[in-house]
Amino acid sequence: MRGPAIRAIGLITGWGVGADAVPPDAVAAAGGRRVLSLERPALDPERFRRSPRECVLGVAAVAAMLEDAEEGPEAIAGEDTGFVFVTAAAYAASNRQHIEPRGSNVYFPYTAPAAISGEVAIEYGIRGPYGILIGGPTAGADAIAHAAEMLEAGTCRRVLVLGVEIFEECADLYDRAGGLDGPLVEAACGLWLEPGEGALTLSRGRSRRGGAGGARRRLGEMLACEPLAALALHRASGRQGPVEIHAAWRGETASLRWSHAPYRARRRAA
Amino acid sequence: MGAVQDLAGSSSEGRPTPRLERIAILAGGVCTPIGQDVDAFWSALLTGADGISRIERFPVDDLRVGNGGEIKKLTRAIEWSRVPDCRASRLLVSAADDLLSQAGARPLPVAPERLAVVVGTALGGVEEGERALAGEVGRLPRALYDAPAHALKRWLGARGPAITVATACASGATAMGLGAELLRRGEADMVVAGGYDGLCRFVLRGFNGLRSLTRDRVRPFDGRRSGLLLGEAAGLVLLCRERDAGARRLGTLLGYGSASDAAHIAAPDPEGRGIERAMRGALAQAGVDAGDVDFVSAHGTATTLNDASEAKALRRVLGARRVPVNSIKGAIGHTMGAAATLEAILCLLAGRHGQVPATLGLEELDPACDLDLIQGAPRALRPRLSLSTSLGFGGCNAALVLQGAA
Repeated sequence: MRGPAIRAIGLITGWGVGADAVPPDAVAAAGGRRVLSLERPALDPERFRRSPRECVLGVAAVAAMLEDAEEGPEAIAGEDTGFVFVTAAAYAASNRQHIEPRGSNVYFPYTAPAAISGEVAIEYGIRGPYGILIGGPTAGADAIAHAAEMLEAGTCRRVLVLGVEIFEECADLYDRAGGLDGPLVEAACGLWLEPGEGALTLSRGRSRRGGAGGARRRLGEMLACEPLAALALHRASGRQGPVEIHAAWRGETASLRWSHAPYRARRRAA
Repeated sequence: MGAVQDLAGSSSEGRPTPRLERIAILAGGVCTPIGQDVDAFWSALLTGADGISRIERFPVDDLRVGNGGEIKKLTRAIEWSRVPDCRASRLLVSAADDLLSQAGARPLPVAPERLAVVVGTALGGVEEGERALAGEVGRLPRALYDAPAHALKRWLGARGPAITVATACASGATAMGLGAELLRRGEADMVVAGGYDGLCRFVLRGFNGLRSLTRDRVRPFDGRRSGLLLGEAAGLVLLCRERDAGARRLGTLLGYGSASDAAHIAAPDPEGRGIERAMRGALAQAGVDAGDVDFVSAHGTATTLNDASEAKALRRVLGARRVPVNSIKGAIGHTMGAAATLEAILCLLAGRHGQVPATLGLEELDPACDLDLIQGAPRALRPRLSLSTSLGFGGCNAALVLQGAA
């Protein structure tokens, strides 16, 4: 498929804001902490009075992406912007809150993964084609490929790919369930994709060990956000040429390869 | 990407939209409250069977409404020890077992590495989370929403990707659209696509709390409609590229469209603009005009707002022409992630059998929903081209354009 260009990236993680905040080694930097949490962003308390933390983090990641693009919200509003949201578990906290009733049933709609993307779509007026994928890092790779297909099919002029993962409220459950290694690093990452040049290939395989993607050593466990955050790290490295992102989840692997560096130069860098 | 053939339609802003390679639907498989195979499902729809009953599988006495489209017992002869003890996974496997029977191939005639699974859900394995938090800790790993898709993949012996989509109650349509995309991209040679959701206290409590559930019967597009009832089901289709399909098929997926409302978390856009964009997108991808549509399987949940907004959107898209419309939610309830796939299968069965089931529960058409609703009895009609619409929480809208087998 045609390789989409990456116009902008907004990355917020438990390590801080942007790729520069990500340490060289997540385990060492975590210093024994199980969860690297993100504070609830201080957005309009009235507008977001019912929105759980994961929704507001999604909105904040898109704001960071727009800042990276040096554009206002109007640049992504309307029918010409497609939207692909991806997460493995960001809905789990709201699910748990509904199962162990601590609040009103007016919050029930927020238990759906679609509430996170819905809140972002409302905030920015995104009305184009959309998709919501559920899964770990391979779903993050699928989300990027799906967005590339939307662009190639001509159903929109740009696509927002957004990943959100939070862990704090369910960390005890992840520990009891097992299977997630390393520090759990909360993250929200928005990618602005638009038509580009060259090619993007998605290769799949199987991995008995469900091994980590190449960027996980630095990032920690970010589930579906891992491929998106890996692109932020790669862009920050300044390396040129083809880009490869690897992901693994539940015994499946997915690798994305751009035939050339996909990043559009930022105005301030130009 | 595969086979961009020509420019077929245009987007709402006039961009030419390439017509994509068509996708054959080889067979369908279902697990529903009114039938656990396609033939039983179809007969029940035609005879007006009512799948709504008092829910028995978990306590509902403390809830305002305790009725729904519950499947009392899974009746297919399946080796259940090979399937996780998880309602969602078992609904999926039951539908898949029917799918294999309908396809007449067990196992499917495709290399395991080239068989993909794409399924949609509104609730995933949430009941597993509910039970885990009640003390059955061993169920925790199955609480993530993508777990049932992987259970289905294992049961099928597939080794291609297993993808879960969660566009709320539009999920079944999204899964079929994404499955088609995998085929066009050459990532698989066959895709088992569809949707599922089981009933559990989590969702019953939620919809009860929202006062969305009716104490009456479900009455889609009726002036007296007072809400929906939930149902549980799974619906799956077997997809392959048209050029790889033989003559035996259920139909063809011509187009898929989606759009976000950007209006409200739990309610549709009152004007139905999002579902209108989704329908126009699906028609453009199919390379057909609204004037070609012979039948619409509507979302038709029987909530006041959904039916009114959907009717407005349908009138704008279809114009003055009276196109027959139905909704099956009066018969089985709103089956959430399964709904769109079941309705797609219905469209294709109508094309095969030359009859369209009536809208169970509809007695007095709401003048605000002035459409050609099929009511009272099935209508003799063999739709060649059908349109299926789906809406969900978060402002998710999706539409499918389907062609029945000649």
